[in-house]
Amino acid sequence: MNTNLKISNVTKIYPGCVANDDVSLEFNSGKIYALLGENGAGKSTLVKILSGVVIPDEGKIYLNKNILKLNSPSDAKKNDIGMVFQHFNLFETLSVFENLIIDSDEQRENLKEKIDTIMKKYNFSVDLDVPVLNLSAGQKQKVEIIRCLIRSPKVLIMDEPTSVLTEQETSELFLSLKKFSEEGILIIYITHKLKEVMQLCDEVAVMRRGKLVSVSQINNENIESLANKMVGQDLKTIKKKKENTSSEQLIKITNLNFTSEDPFETNLVDINFSLNRGECLGIAGISGNGQSELFQVLSGEIISNKNSIEFNKNFIGDLNPQERREYLMAFSPEDRLEQAAIPQMAIFENVALNNFKSSNFFNNGLINESKIKEHSKKIISEFNVNTNNIDLKSQFLSGGNLQKLIIGRELITSPDLLICFNPTWGLDVGAINYIHETLIKINEQNKSIILISTDTDELLKLSDKISVIHRGKLSKIMNAEDVTSEKLGILMGGGN
Amino acid sequence: MIVDINFVGLIIASIMASAVPLILASCGELITERSGVLNLGVEGMMIIGAISGFALMTVTGSLIIAVFGAMLAGVLISTIFAFLTQTLITNHVATGLALTIFGIGISAMIGKNFVGIPGKEFPVLFESLKDTIPLLSPILFGHSIVFYFAFALPFITSYFLKQTKIGLIVRAVGDSPESASNQGINVRLVRYACILYGGAMCGLAGAYLSMIYTPQWIENMTGGRGWIALALVVFSTWNPIKILIGAMIFGGLTIIQFHMQAIGVRIPVQFLTALPYIVTIIVLVVISRDSRKIRLSTPSSLGKSFHKDN
Repeated sequence: MNTNLKISNVTKIYPGCVANDDVSLEFNSGKIYALLGENGAGKSTLVKILSGVVIPDEGKIYLNKNILKLNSPSDAKKNDIGMVFQHFNLFETLSVFENLIIDSDEQRENLKEKIDTIMKKYNFSVDLDVPVLNLSAGQKQKVEIIRCLIRSPKVLIMDEPTSVLTEQETSELFLSLKKFSEEGILIIYITHKLKEVMQLCDEVAVMRRGKLVSVSQINNENIESLANKMVGQDLKTIKKKKENTSSEQLIKITNLNFTSEDPFETNLVDINFSLNRGECLGIAGISGNGQSELFQVLSGEIISNKNSIEFNKNFIGDLNPQERREYLMAFSPEDRLEQAAIPQMAIFENVALNNFKSSNFFNNGLINESKIKEHSKKIISEFNVNTNNIDLKSQFLSGGNLQKLIIGRELITSPDLLICFNPTWGLDVGAINYIHETLIKINEQNKSIILISTDTDELLKLSDKISVIHRGKLSKIMNAEDVTSEKLGILMGGGN
Repeated sequence: MIVDINFVGLIIASIMASAVPLILASCGELITERSGVLNLGVEGMMIIGAISGFALMTVTGSLIIAVFGAMLAGVLISTIFAFLTQTLITNHVATGLALTIFGIGISAMIGKNFVGIPGKEFPVLFESLKDTIPLLSPILFGHSIVFYFAFALPFITSYFLKQTKIGLIVRAVGDSPESASNQGINVRLVRYACILYGGAMCGLAGAYLSMIYTPQWIENMTGGRGWIALALVVFSTWNPIKILIGAMIFGGLTIIQFHMQAIGVRIPVQFLTALPYIVTIIVLVVISRDSRKIRLSTPSSLGKSFHKDN
């Protein structure tokens, strides 16, 4: 049976921002639709309206010509609209099966049978009895998808589903989605990744600042045309100039080990590498293979053997992050709002947290507010952070602006080494471009970068040397020119 | 020295009796906390239950009305907490502390007229079997219905949380109210229900104290048991069976140190009095050391307000 979903003149206004401005769209089953836009373009609000999480101020939704009243998520479920959220809606401490049975009206045995059928049909394999927190991101997403499929949905909405997936998992997901589409499920795919739209979708709708700017067949578009529509201006392509890097060694890691007491963490086994000035070392890997532990060991959040880290001819393995900063190291952690900044504190206060002996932010234990504010303003203007208000709480900055602020805070002291972990995670094209340009600039100033990232395109673009982390072990260091994304994919999966 | 085996049985029974209010209040608070709500008003709800039970018994003469009235009083006072924290989104900690202060104050005010009035005898079950088996008889038989209920409650609670759909929903809400809400679960309703249930159990625990354990009204008669109940919930890592163990250890040491003081053991009284608190916490910490299990049983949203905004 054909499914027709129609959004008609939907408007949703939040204080200070029009999230959806008179949006009208129509979808038919048998096709995969992309909803494309930068962060804050209003895609998420629109799909939250479709899934009953958000109620629009104006406008109507029709399913097969019948008007839909979506006042709560259960209304959407009743009308066979399934949704997989970007931030998983799972209960971490409950088992997979408990997560699935909680919103099902079926008997235990029936449900188990149904899940088995679905898993066989689509070749999913997830252990039903383990708690969700033990699963990888890809598996968690499968649980979410199974949860939707149990209800045999007419419409399946995927909100930025690949932001946490590996390349392998992404292609598996695409295969499944194509299969669902062939079976008559209408698929709406929300993303800001252009490559995915080209690979997967049949039609694409682009949103910008709450407005629908275009709807077109994918055959009439290419990556550049979509990018320009999305950003609203022409994007310049950036490329790293291959320069002669110096041969002066900056950091050397020798036999670095970390054994965790927490069963959910990965142990690091015998890490060895060195990096010269002006170089960027990329560390690839599927998330959860020891990246966050490696970042913590390198930044000093986890202290290790003094001699295992030699930086600028000093042994600093036993120093904490603040002490390492004094030796001109800088850090940009993965989780911007939890690790890099304190959400409830103002921008300038977050800047002050990164204090140096030389910064004079504090006099005899008292805060030198004017000094900090002056310093913050400098960061904001130099690093293009889009706000004038340094008293703003950092939680109100968009991901891109917050990341610029953090990178700016780290770089303004011109450190010799910047260690960053997924610096462009979840950012839109414009912000990613800016961060990439900034990182290339650092290398050009003969400063070094260790870039831990799950985004292989990013690594290939920025790195001089690349290594892969798998189950806490580092592969041998390769020259970036000799590496392809296929080769990285094999190493990331544990192959040779 | 010959020890009368029935005397040992009696001591064990008295230890169990002293554990009853702790088990009731802890199991009630456990359900509240499993839904993500931290109600520090346990002491206040217990004392309200104690005075309500005693007052209703004296006024109406009916034990049934008194027991259920005490539970209802617990429900009513916890409704204040629920309204403040869930509807007006106030801070759980501050509101819970206020509830305790309020409960202690109002119970003292109502209780003025009931000081010195003797209580009534509470009927016990299986009294005829009291002399049948040595050692076991005094432990198993001749107790009030509340006593038997209290020792069944940890198992019922455990079954409820693990095996029933509603129990699953309670755990889900405690784990992630955001996800639960997106799944169409009414988070506020679940939390209201859990808070009110916790109130009822604390009310019953209080009624047990003033009507069965020491049948009389004394101002402030809960004497910090509410705080111990709260500590038991946390140190048992939200596991009802461990609450039972903890309550028995606490009750046991309280009784034993009384006897030691009576015999005149040459250990400072202050140390003996502190002993139950110290040992209970040490034992529970030791048996709950598995960090994986702690992670799995700790309600992740505990004490955090959930505000659904559209």
